[in-house]
Amino acid sequence: TEGPPSCPKGCDRCSEYNGCVKCKPKLFIFLERNDIRQVGVCLASCPVGYFGMRNPEGNNRCTQCKIDNCEACFNRNFCTKCKEGLYSHSGRCYVSCPPGQRTANETMEC
Amino acid sequence: RPCTSGQGQSTAVCSPSCSCDEDGGADCSGRGLTAVPTGLSTFTYYLDLSMNNITELPANVFKSFPYMEELRLAGNDLTFIHPEALSGLHQLKVLMLQNNQLKSVPSAALKNLQSLQSLRLDANHITTVPDESFQGLQQLRHLWLDDNHLTQVPVGSLTHQANLQALTLALNRITYIPANAFANLTSLVVLHLHNNRIREIASNSFAGLVNLETLDLNFNNLMVFPKPIEALPKLKELGFHSNGISSIPEGAFHNNPLLRTIHLYDNPLSFVGTTAFQNLSELHSLILRGANKMRDFPVLTGTKNLESLTLSGTKISSLPMDLCENLRLLRTLDLSYNEIEQLPSFQGCIHIQEISFQHNKIQQIDRDTFQSLSALHLLDLSRNQIQVIHRDAFLTLTSLNNLDLSMNSLATIPSRGLSAVSQLKLSGNPQMKNMLTAKDLPKLMSISVPYAYQCCAFVGCDSSSKDSSMKKSAGAIVGDDGEQISMVMHCSPSPGALKPCEHLLGNWMIRLTVWF
Repeated sequence: TEGPPSCPKGCDRCSEYNGCVKCKPKLFIFLERNDIRQVGVCLASCPVGYFGMRNPEGNNRCTQCKIDNCEACFNRNFCTKCKEGLYSHSGRCYVSCPPGQRTANETMEC
Repeated sequence: RPCTSGQGQSTAVCSPSCSCDEDGGADCSGRGLTAVPTGLSTFTYYLDLSMNNITELPANVFKSFPYMEELRLAGNDLTFIHPEALSGLHQLKVLMLQNNQLKSVPSAALKNLQSLQSLRLDANHITTVPDESFQGLQQLRHLWLDDNHLTQVPVGSLTHQANLQALTLALNRITYIPANAFANLTSLVVLHLHNNRIREIASNSFAGLVNLETLDLNFNNLMVFPKPIEALPKLKELGFHSNGISSIPEGAFHNNPLLRTIHLYDNPLSFVGTTAFQNLSELHSLILRGANKMRDFPVLTGTKNLESLTLSGTKISSLPMDLCENLRLLRTLDLSYNEIEQLPSFQGCIHIQEISFQHNKIQQIDRDTFQSLSALHLLDLSRNQIQVIHRDAFLTLTSLNNLDLSMNSLATIPSRGLSAVSQLKLSGNPQMKNMLTAKDLPKLMSISVPYAYQCCAFVGCDSSSKDSSMKKSAGAIVGDDGEQISMVMHCSPSPGALKPCEHLLGNWMIRLTVWF
């Protein structure tokens, strides 16, 4: 079922000024910054630097990764994709592997 | 990755339904497609087909993309994936199938994805996970199965996943964690099980998780403390808030020395073992509320990096004299709503900024109780039975700006050490009848006093004022000896027609007579 005609794709309720305010079930709301405004958009997967936090009430939201040099994360503290050229170990990103860890260049892991 | 042809956007081989970039990325998302578009470059390494209306993936639909590393099919209406649909994707690392209508894991289709690291199957309708589901996926690191209809942990399918690092089974209908459920997941770092219906966890259910750092059991139906966590030596973050747990046993976390965060609120806790939180040297914050059968203050030896301690709603009546020996880094201490009668000296807690002992049974404050706490800015001693405060008790509290002594049995308060106080509450001390002096409180902005006439020392008695609390723009008046005293912004209860400034022996008949 489509939301109101004026709302963007995947949106159940929107406002002219703030874009989507409630997404369809299972989608994530992401608040894009537009000058001083925050505009809600509905996504099936969150953009770079964010992960999707689901909850039973259905207001799933894109939440920022809290790990340095991380492009995609599983939760706030666990990175699933480090920036180009960095090594990942236990969900963190390293310029060079911590002491005692061997470098696996083919998968860029320690 | 082979470099693709052409300079600008326009020269890249692309499908009319997509926009492609020079690096081999193709964005075909949100275009109402019902099938995988044709005409894409064989060098495509990233293909986004999310938010379309694709219901099925036929055989070999991606066979001409040997360099593909990321394939996004999220937010379609996929109900069927042909066993040969994903063949040819030898370098695929990321496969996103979330937000579709799959009822089971497409095991056959997944079997040859030997480079796959991240697999998203969240937000489908999956009820079963065949044992062979992830067999071919030797490089799998991250698996999302949350927000599906699973009723049990897919133990069989996880048996061969020694490289798996992050797994979420949250938002399902799992009721029980069986023994050795995750036995071979020796690389697992993160395990999310929140928002299920877990009532019981078998005794060695977490055996084998030797590298697990985060375990999320929040929002389940646990009635007993999850003792199997003792198999998790590397655990750093543990959540079991919003369950039905009534007690935390002695030595509860004795095998989890690296714990930094424990979320345990919203449990009907009544008892907490005194040794439960011992030797947790990485723990920074501990919040325990409402353990109403708890009588003894917890032993916190070895938990030396605690910065915030909240322990309220218990029957604790005394505190260890050496409390600050163990808690040198403490910044906030909230021991409100207990039955504490006497306070030790907090002299060793040199970093402490906020202390609350609201609603206890404290009767006196000694000279050294709060001595040398130069960082302390908030002190709440309201709702006790304090009769005496040593005159030097606040002398060294150079940062104290919020002091609440309301609802006690005080007749007077020290005049020294309050120079930084901007908010002072004294109401509810009926024996405190003396006139307070403003010069001891140069920074005062807001005060509540037992009697209206006491406000006259602060706000100047303009008895015509109507509103219940007196508000005046901040200004200053000059005291007798020429010293400047700041005018208080807010004083309650403020004097008025029926509450004149002069303390007329406190007799209502006399006040009414004066009024007529």
